[in-house]
Amino acid sequence: MAQVSIGSLSDFPEGTPTFAEADGTRLCIVRVGDKVHAICDDCPHAEASLSEGDFLADDMAVECPLHGSAFNLESGDPDAPPATEAVQVFNVTVDGDTVLVEV
Amino acid sequence: MPIALIVGGGMAGRAAAVTLRRVGYQGEVVLVGDESTPPYDRPPLSKSVIVGTADLDKVIKQTLETYAEDGIELRLGVAVTAADADAKTATLSDGSEIAWDALVIATGCAPREVPIPGLDKPGVFRITRIDEALAIQEVLASGPKRLAIIGGGFIGMEAAAAAVAHGHTATVIEAAPEPMARPLGLTVAERVLQWATDRGVEVLAGVGVEEVLGDDRASGVKLASGDIIDADLVICAIGQVPRLGLAQLLGCAEEAGGVQVDASMQTSVAGVYAVGDIAAFPSKWADEDRIRIEHAAVAIGHGQTAAEHIATGEGLFEDLPSFWSDQGDITLNMVGVARPDDEIIWRGDQDLPACTAFYLREGKLRAAMSVGDMKTLRGVRKLFAAGVSPTAEQLADPDVDLAALAAAG
Repeated sequence: MAQVSIGSLSDFPEGTPTFAEADGTRLCIVRVGDKVHAICDDCPHAEASLSEGDFLADDMAVECPLHGSAFNLESGDPDAPPATEAVQVFNVTVDGDTVLVEV
Repeated sequence: MPIALIVGGGMAGRAAAVTLRRVGYQGEVVLVGDESTPPYDRPPLSKSVIVGTADLDKVIKQTLETYAEDGIELRLGVAVTAADADAKTATLSDGSEIAWDALVIATGCAPREVPIPGLDKPGVFRITRIDEALAIQEVLASGPKRLAIIGGGFIGMEAAAAAVAHGHTATVIEAAPEPMARPLGLTVAERVLQWATDRGVEVLAGVGVEEVLGDDRASGVKLASGDIIDADLVICAIGQVPRLGLAQLLGCAEEAGGVQVDASMQTSVAGVYAVGDIAAFPSKWADEDRIRIEHAAVAIGHGQTAAEHIATGEGLFEDLPSFWSDQGDITLNMVGVARPDDEIIWRGDQDLPACTAFYLREGKLRAAMSVGDMKTLRGVRKLFAAGVSPTAEQLADPDVDLAALAAAG
């Protein structure tokens, strides 16, 4: 496990899933207020990039743009099929303005 | 210790097994499948698997070892040859016998048999199992090929679109005059067909296949019109039929061409559940008493529901039916239960990259098919959940926020 910087807070617009890479790990980043969430960018179901999907604020989830399973940012669990597996959730710390992801 | 026996290693069967463990079922979980591969996702077969872009570790979701670690015993490459509902036992093709406390029948469908001469020739493929899809992949991997695809349903159209997107040529031959008109309705099917032909898929509709040509190996097909379509390989995708043998052995009541179940997925025989393609289930989203749906998301939901019911005595399948079809770079997402004669209202200009078709019956929203517009589809889900049916004008107007209409009630 290493803390890897993926940029500064301003790189991640509020409520907008954004792609980032940390030591080769593909991530979907969502900033909600002061908190930054990181999940694996690859949908566990099919070949889709979750950072191209929409953030669903009511569900604290990112919706896969391909088939619509929505993944909770805290648990990684999908809300409904077709996905049945959770996405990996990564720990994020914000140090000053720097966003660090534990990968 | 009680035993939950699952027969069928498809998506519904796997969902049942995995869910039994997830919800804390205390008994043994045994899954019997007649294929030698552990349960896998079937939708990619007609898409990424045949063209070799699939991540097979993702398609075949777990290994025998990880199933064992999860407390799920897989018995692969064997079929159930006999079963006794009173004794609650099943006999397998390897001669062994398993007693069960709960039985989940998830036997899915078998390819439909059609009397077209020559379908047994080498170079003719079905696309229902992973070994078949990988055999197609092997042929396509050696360079551009000409595919003749018999059947213009979703599987045939998906395979054609995937092949064309990877430099092959594909001719789809559909006996019905309008491919995909039954699941999508005529006007929507026409749009989807147009997108496919725009991408280079050749579609011949309203003509049957008389025979598969070729001496040692398929070299093409001869149509009822007399025309000959030359091909390097022939894919037969003319549909499937539910595999009801085990349910019939047990005396389960049938309906709608499948096994009658209640909302907990239980059949008429106590302790026996039926899930996935074979299940004729009640749905508040349909007009009929029971419907069958042969799509992955529904199959998974069925398996999950049966498992919850076995483990906890609770659990009802109430999901809004949904399915998708990836056709090359186009993904159709559909929710609800559509009928071919539903009234169609479009949102958007009926074209790519984003549009939605709404299906209305007696003025009420019944289903929606969307391309490139998950937001609208999410609004539709919320409308269904809230029991709100907007007017045709509201549906057609892209400025009307469907989720807000649902929230307003």
